Amino acid sequence: MIGKLFLTLATLALLHAAYSTYEHLSLLKALGKPEGSLPLDIVYESILALILGLLGASLNAPPLKDITWASEMKKRTIDGMDSRLGFAHYKSRGKFLFASPRDSKS
Amino acid sequence: MSLQSALERLATYRANNTRASQDIFRNGLLALQKSSFKKLGDDGWACLEQLTLASIDVGRLDIADQCLQLIADKFPNSPRVDCLIGIRMEATEPPETALKYYADILEADSANVAIWKRRISVLRRTGKVEKAVNELVQFLDTFYTDVEGWLELADIYASCNQYDHSLQALSHVLLLTPQNPFYVLQAAETAYTSEDFPLAIKMFLTVVDMTDADDSEQLLQESTPLGITVRAWFGVKLCTRRIAQNANLKSLSNTSAPKNLELLDELATERLRVAYSSSGQKGEIAKGRQEVFAWVATPLV
Repeated sequence: MIGKLFLTLATLALLHAAYSTYEHLSLLKALGKPEGSLPLDIVYESILALILGLLGASLNAPPLKDITWASEMKKRTIDGMDSRLGFAHYKSRGKFLFASPRDSKS
Repeated sequence: MSLQSALERLATYRANNTRASQDIFRNGLLALQKSSFKKLGDDGWACLEQLTLASIDVGRLDIADQCLQLIADKFPNSPRVDCLIGIRMEATEPPETALKYYADILEADSANVAIWKRRISVLRRTGKVEKAVNELVQFLDTFYTDVEGWLELADIYASCNQYDHSLQALSHVLLLTPQNPFYVLQAAETAYTSEDFPLAIKMFLTVVDMTDADDSEQLLQESTPLGITVRAWFGVKLCTRRIAQNANLKSLSNTSAPKNLELLDELATERLRVAYSSSGQKGEIAKGRQEVFAWVATPLV
């Protein structure tokens, strides 16, 4: 939750800094000195957006998964490993066990 | 049960290859009724295929036909769709019809893996086990890396009580998937059934090594065995019993008997006691604890 909040704030701050830069550049063009330097507060805003964005992305990451085979195997079952679905028999008693009453007219 | 959780369950079943047809049917039907499969893209078609197979399994052929029609309309000449049509045919038509359908497809393309597997499955189901085994061996000569095929061969041999051949098939499985403790457990139990106790006990201990040997966790004495580790410890205990009873064993694979049999037996006893001593969710005792404790307490010879 905090991660998403930080990410949103960082995106807004970056967009704001970008828009301020654009406005500042158009002001400089209007005043006729197109090589003026960027005001420091825009720079600070961008760096703040970077830090907030880093924090937000790290906190927003999904929970880490184990990398060992043993931990993956702990989650599996014998039935899953032995299912052999390519050779499975589909003519089973399921038709008679699970069909609803109105299907059993045949 | 929301749509999102239903789709997630279907994806988990697909990833783990489980055959929980009733649950898949329930969840998939919910998704189908809300016609949300189209939104998922590629995953949606895999889910639809899963639902088709589950509905055939459960006997709801009306839903199966509906899903099959949707898939066949989207992918007209696909071999995967041919396989689904064949499975649908197997469910209602006599097996000769299905076999003829598969033979026709295999004539056109003799290396169609899915259709070949279905053909072998139909042969096994109708009792032509020898023919099924011959075809399966031919299949495995062509496609050596098919783990499912080797497992099916092991299963067919085990069902005919030819446990040595079953163990040979399982040894190929172990070559192909050395990281999987479930297949080592199956091989250990097959070795035990074919009375090769030294090999069986070695394999049971390999299963314990694979599933429980986490160096970062606490000392072995403090961790509880869970899952197939308990089954492996039961196997170790059974093997020590049989090896102790029979002084002059002949092991078919020429494996030597373990040296410290009594210590192994003690270790297995202690691990089983720990496994059954942990209390459940509400502090209840494990089912069968008394029986297990009584059984492991009986002396070795």
